[in-house]
Amino acid sequence: MNKHSRSVSKKTTHFTRRNFLKATSLAITCASFSGHLLYSGIASSSAITAQLPKQIKHINYFEYQVLNHLMTIALPVRGTPLPSPKQVDAMVTLDQALLGGMEAHVLAELKQGIKFFEEGPRSNFQNKAFTQLSASQAIKFCDNWANSDFPQQRGIVMGLKKLVSLAYWSNPATWPTLNYIGPISKRKGIPALGNAPLPL
Amino acid sequence: MDKTVSSQTTASKKMPSSGLPVIEAKHINDKKIKLKADVVVVGSGAGGAVSAYELAKAGQKVIVLEAGPYIPSNQFSEMLAVGMGQLYQDQGGQSNTAKDFTILQGSCVGGSTVVNATVCFRTPDYYLKLWSKEYGTNNLTTESLTPYFEKVEKNLSIRRAVREEMSDDANLLVDGCEKANIPWKASRRNVRFCALTGACLSGCVTDRKQSMLVTYLPWAIAHGATVYSDTFVTRISEKNGQVTAVHAEIKDRESGIKKADMEIEATKVILAAGAIQSPLILLRSQIANSSGQVGKNYACHPSLSVTGYIPNLNQDFYGAWHSMYVDEFTLPEQGGYILLSGIQDPVEATLNVDPGTGKPFMDHMLESKNLIRVITLIHDRNHGEVTWENGVKKVKYEMHDKDFPHMIAAMKKAITVLFAAGATKIYLPTSNKTEINDPSEVDKVLDSLKNEPARYRYVSYHPQGTCRMGANPKQSVVNPYGESHDVKGLYVADASLLPTSIGYNPQQTVYTLASYIADHIVNKS
Repeated sequence: MNKHSRSVSKKTTHFTRRNFLKATSLAITCASFSGHLLYSGIASSSAITAQLPKQIKHINYFEYQVLNHLMTIALPVRGTPLPSPKQVDAMVTLDQALLGGMEAHVLAELKQGIKFFEEGPRSNFQNKAFTQLSASQAIKFCDNWANSDFPQQRGIVMGLKKLVSLAYWSNPATWPTLNYIGPISKRKGIPALGNAPLPL
Repeated sequence: MDKTVSSQTTASKKMPSSGLPVIEAKHINDKKIKLKADVVVVGSGAGGAVSAYELAKAGQKVIVLEAGPYIPSNQFSEMLAVGMGQLYQDQGGQSNTAKDFTILQGSCVGGSTVVNATVCFRTPDYYLKLWSKEYGTNNLTTESLTPYFEKVEKNLSIRRAVREEMSDDANLLVDGCEKANIPWKASRRNVRFCALTGACLSGCVTDRKQSMLVTYLPWAIAHGATVYSDTFVTRISEKNGQVTAVHAEIKDRESGIKKADMEIEATKVILAAGAIQSPLILLRSQIANSSGQVGKNYACHPSLSVTGYIPNLNQDFYGAWHSMYVDEFTLPEQGGYILLSGIQDPVEATLNVDPGTGKPFMDHMLESKNLIRVITLIHDRNHGEVTWENGVKKVKYEMHDKDFPHMIAAMKKAITVLFAAGATKIYLPTSNKTEINDPSEVDKVLDSLKNEPARYRYVSYHPQGTCRMGANPKQSVVNPYGESHDVKGLYVADASLLPTSIGYNPQQTVYTLASYIADHIVNKS
């Protein structure tokens, strides 16, 4: 992260997190799945919940691991001036802004989709779950599913990639590298017109 | 003093200069609220706001109920991510049951007019004639509606954009159209002194977009209307075929906890909650559905974005959001699609294509300044349905096999324009990486695409058709004047009226029909 984007990030972090905390976001599609798969070793114990970062409220530890792994391989920043997803707290944005306002039944379907996605690679990647794949394997798995013959696989990978991408790119700290300024009305002091005059 | 002048003078004094005196959930202390009104308007968007103003101006006591929050324009963020959470239905996450169509609607005081891209079209004569022939709406003709088109255009400052207002991407598309001999037009927009911020979709922070929030709603309030936000209509009641009351819950915005039950007695109810919520209210109320058509006939103008990479472009993402369009092929016999420019800022760009996972995607995003898109929007069949099942809304809609070829034709034309505009690479809005590097590849790639679920990144901005109007009570929900065939005094005044999809952005059609219906109500009184 360069000096410029660090400076922007400091100014915008408070605004963006406050707004993201108040207002959830974004068009996310994710095919619903009514499967009965379990994570290997999944359990909802307080010990496992305690390993979650403090700010994460809407997903459990294993769901966090899946989404975090996806975010890491889908958004590589090495060799660019871009901040890493960790530097902009993208997982917190994802949890609080994107998942926090979801209707309960939609969030439940998404969680089923995450399970399905985690178990998805086993048949073609030596019985490994998604979180066990190397970066190159995970990328290959995602690209395969994007072009799968099965609509659930296409829908889930498209939806999950949109989630992690939006959680990252909606943060203004990522914009300076793109030469995108963002909101300009306040920056330029453009005055508000108020309500239109009554028709005569 | 003449009565009209006197009324206008009184209204001018009550007219808020900015913002609205909305009664929000946080203002409510009573657990039960019982009111009486001449008219209850459900929904504060395009149809609701116009209805409220026209009827309040005519001396009716009007109460407007809006389920969404009141967000004053000075709280708009100009950031799409934040705007979706503030202003959109389901925070921008509304979709069909198959979850491969994102359905974007506003849910706030002012409705979708707060978050739309301002482009306005009069209802094509083609559809007015079709509706008359197939649905008996003989009263709705270009001649009868022209005074309403003109009134709305004057009230909302609708005018054609000039070249200087167009965004960088739109100017390139204009050049591309001219090189390819494709006629184009500058968009007609409801704006006053547009600041060209390119932030239409997250609400206009300086009130230049002439949404209902800054036009018909303050005017309605000036004439005595009252507006409640955070107020969810649960049902409408009727007795002996006459509407009697509207029942609602006022809910705390943050927690969703109910604060009050509300009942408003009224002999006239205008249902203008949009083509998804209006039928749901009628279905929950179990009224006005002898035709069995409530919720049926859903159409939505499926749209996709085709992206092009333009070398040496350094766009700034500002300008009129929908600056220009191509409607040479919009009527069904011509192709059934319209092409529109649309500023694609980097946040939106993350949703529209898949150049491959990982580095290819990041490389693509780093080229955001070079990426422009054409939005393809098609006229679709009214074959979907909105239902209420176990307390959950369901929008059952998929791309029809007979509509899909129109989308392919639209994408081919969009690609023609993009290559002519200087694009050297085209990205298609598929679930996987699909790129075209030369015009010679277009037919082969596009003709290989199949109509499959979860394969395309569809967005719909225009749900419509679910309480359609018509002369035959067995085939329609309301008559050609918007009144329910079954329940006197119950009207519909939103896009759910449209008997067929119209292939053009429908906001001006809704304003016009709402004006017309309100006039009819006033004249009937």
